[in-house]
Amino acid sequence: MKITKKRQIILALIIILVLSMVFSLGIGGGRFQISDLLSFLQPSSLLPTEKTILFEIRLPRLILSVLVGAALSLSGAVLQGLFQNPLVDPYVLGISSGGAVGAIVAILSGISLGFITLPLFSFLFALATTFLVLRLGQIGHKMPLEIMLLAGVAIGFFFSALISLGMFLAGENLHQMVFWIMGGFWNSSWNKVYTLLPFFLIGFPIIFSYSRELNTFLLGEKVAESMGVEVEKTKKILLIVTSLLVAASVSVSGVIGFVGLVVPHIIRIIIGEDHRQLLPASLFLGSSVLLWADIFSRTLLHPVELPVGVLTSLMGAPFFIYLLRRKKKGW
Amino acid sequence: MSFSLSVKNLFFSYGDRKVLHNVNFNIQKGDFVGILGPNGSGKSTLLHLLSGLLMPDTGSIFISGKNTQELSRKNWSQEIAIVFQETNLNLDLECYDVIMMGRFPHWRRWQKENQQDIDSVLNALQITNTQQFANRPFRELSGGEKQRVMIARALAQEPNILLLDEPTSHLDILHQLDIMRILFLLQKKDITILGVFHDINLVSQFCNQVMFLKKGVIVHRGLVGKSLHAPQVEELFDVEFLEEIHPYSLRPFFMPLGIVKKIESPSASIHLICGGGSGSNFMKEFLEAGFSVSVGIVNQFDSDQEMASKLGIPVMIEKPFSPISDDNFQKAINLAAQSDYIFIAPGYWGRGNLKNLDLAISLQERGKKIFFLQDSLDRNWDYTEGLAINKLNLLAQHHAEVFSSFTELIDRIKKDCLK
Repeated sequence: MKITKKRQIILALIIILVLSMVFSLGIGGGRFQISDLLSFLQPSSLLPTEKTILFEIRLPRLILSVLVGAALSLSGAVLQGLFQNPLVDPYVLGISSGGAVGAIVAILSGISLGFITLPLFSFLFALATTFLVLRLGQIGHKMPLEIMLLAGVAIGFFFSALISLGMFLAGENLHQMVFWIMGGFWNSSWNKVYTLLPFFLIGFPIIFSYSRELNTFLLGEKVAESMGVEVEKTKKILLIVTSLLVAASVSVSGVIGFVGLVVPHIIRIIIGEDHRQLLPASLFLGSSVLLWADIFSRTLLHPVELPVGVLTSLMGAPFFIYLLRRKKKGW
Repeated sequence: MSFSLSVKNLFFSYGDRKVLHNVNFNIQKGDFVGILGPNGSGKSTLLHLLSGLLMPDTGSIFISGKNTQELSRKNWSQEIAIVFQETNLNLDLECYDVIMMGRFPHWRRWQKENQQDIDSVLNALQITNTQQFANRPFRELSGGEKQRVMIARALAQEPNILLLDEPTSHLDILHQLDIMRILFLLQKKDITILGVFHDINLVSQFCNQVMFLKKGVIVHRGLVGKSLHAPQVEELFDVEFLEEIHPYSLRPFFMPLGIVKKIESPSASIHLICGGGSGSNFMKEFLEAGFSVSVGIVNQFDSDQEMASKLGIPVMIEKPFSPISDDNFQKAINLAAQSDYIFIAPGYWGRGNLKNLDLAISLQERGKKIFFLQDSLDRNWDYTEGLAINKLNLLAQHHAEVFSSFTELIDRIKKDCLK
């Protein structure tokens, strides 16, 4: 595929994302509807309640879902490239279960530091888990990826047991826990956006700057190193940056599955394996997908709001199977 | 003067297993070195060390006079590129993009591809004759084509030294020659090449230097014309080789004889009476069974004589197309007397070689054990009106042992050896 065509596809994905964002502002409970969207261009004409709905509820939620979608898809694309394995998702290093354990600890212990309590605990636990897995997967100064994968899976199982134990002991807190684990954006706020944003602003450029290294990994680590890539350093940096991104995402939205697995697959089919286009395209499609998943979660059973994580898995799994069965080339 | 590549006191081991032991060599710019050696001799490890994929336990590597320990990973890759055996990669990328990846060591982070990068890739495409694949996905190519693209990718690094780890092992003969011709061409462009190969003849025809590696030690080095000969090759692989001259390249051409190299202490010695090609197969069989062999009397230019000489077997020779002289008869008795057993190969008997049976009779009189096969008594092979058969019968009457099959004979001798 010609490079110009790939750029057109990325541009199209950006346009779709922007349109989806505008559309999403007009959907939800409350007075402000799609037909009122135009008045958004003139904020002075809005009623105070409309302003609150728009700027304090819908906008931060919109931005969070876009950021989390971007982070999960981008991380998925990076990790699949790094591990040279199509079944890798952003949670491969045990991040999700670590985050969930953190959240459960926060809920059960009753510690309260304001709105930040839950995200902070889950973020710290997620990171601690990741570094534990990275440490376990390290042999000498090398990181053999297959050992890392196994370490991630093992730690994941261990923490899943802890989560079950936590739920067993939760009593009346069970509801809160389940909600957190299933993932969603119902408690979105500007504060969460502000805490999340720095990770993204720093993480995204770092990841993009490693597109070429990720391409060389396609030829195998040995060849990559012989071409001048500092393989171990690259692995370490990319694993740490994606872990920070995913831990931050998990801390604000809980565990949202399948986006980080499926989106890079779709992009790989459309645009190919070159990470210079694969990464940005995954990012933009991931944002749109999670944004739409959130829109559906709010509207499908209105006024009941579904957990986004449940929705993405319900839609993602069959779609993933469909992709696997029709795709014969590449992975 | 400074060498293109210089290795000093290189040692390397995987844990307790010593792989390379005190490796030293210098290579001039523009040399094409073929590295030969049995499996597990440390050839691949040496290439990994030279390209910086492994670090030596002790010792140093100098590239164009620069100590590699002071080179960054990228600088190292600007000097040395390596092509591996591969490649069953199923990349979806176009070959042009794969080759462009070779430019990696010349890029700074965020730097865009410039005209120099494009020129370099086009040049690599041209040298490797891969222009026609440039816009095709890598996975659609055949093994040989993929390997050419991988060489192009290595050339895009613009290295001074190109390493190849068994680049032709999985390829058919046409593609093997293709690759070797490309390398030969590169050598003319003053790129230093070191390649690990399994095919001695490819090395002999295309390389100008050889390096023999055995059990982690360089056992032999030098110019192909001077240093690549059967004795060294046999020593290296423990297999017997026949050395001929290749009719076009005039370089040595080696043919494995399918015989494990002569055993230091043979368990038994056998004198073979044969002629007209009747003995060639038995020479090989005896040698493989671990026995030493002598042959005679055969006429010069008889195929048995030629085979015995090629195998380095002591042989008593009579002049071409001549009956056996008394002088040679006596010499043959002296030669055969050193053996434990005498074996008469089944073959044709005529007036010319009938004396060989007298040889056997004389030896039997001296107490030598005589063996022959049942087949020898076939009257159709006797062109002496029964004289030969009579002599064979006479031998049998005096306790020569007659076997129905050759394996039976071998077993008999081996049983003797055990006593």
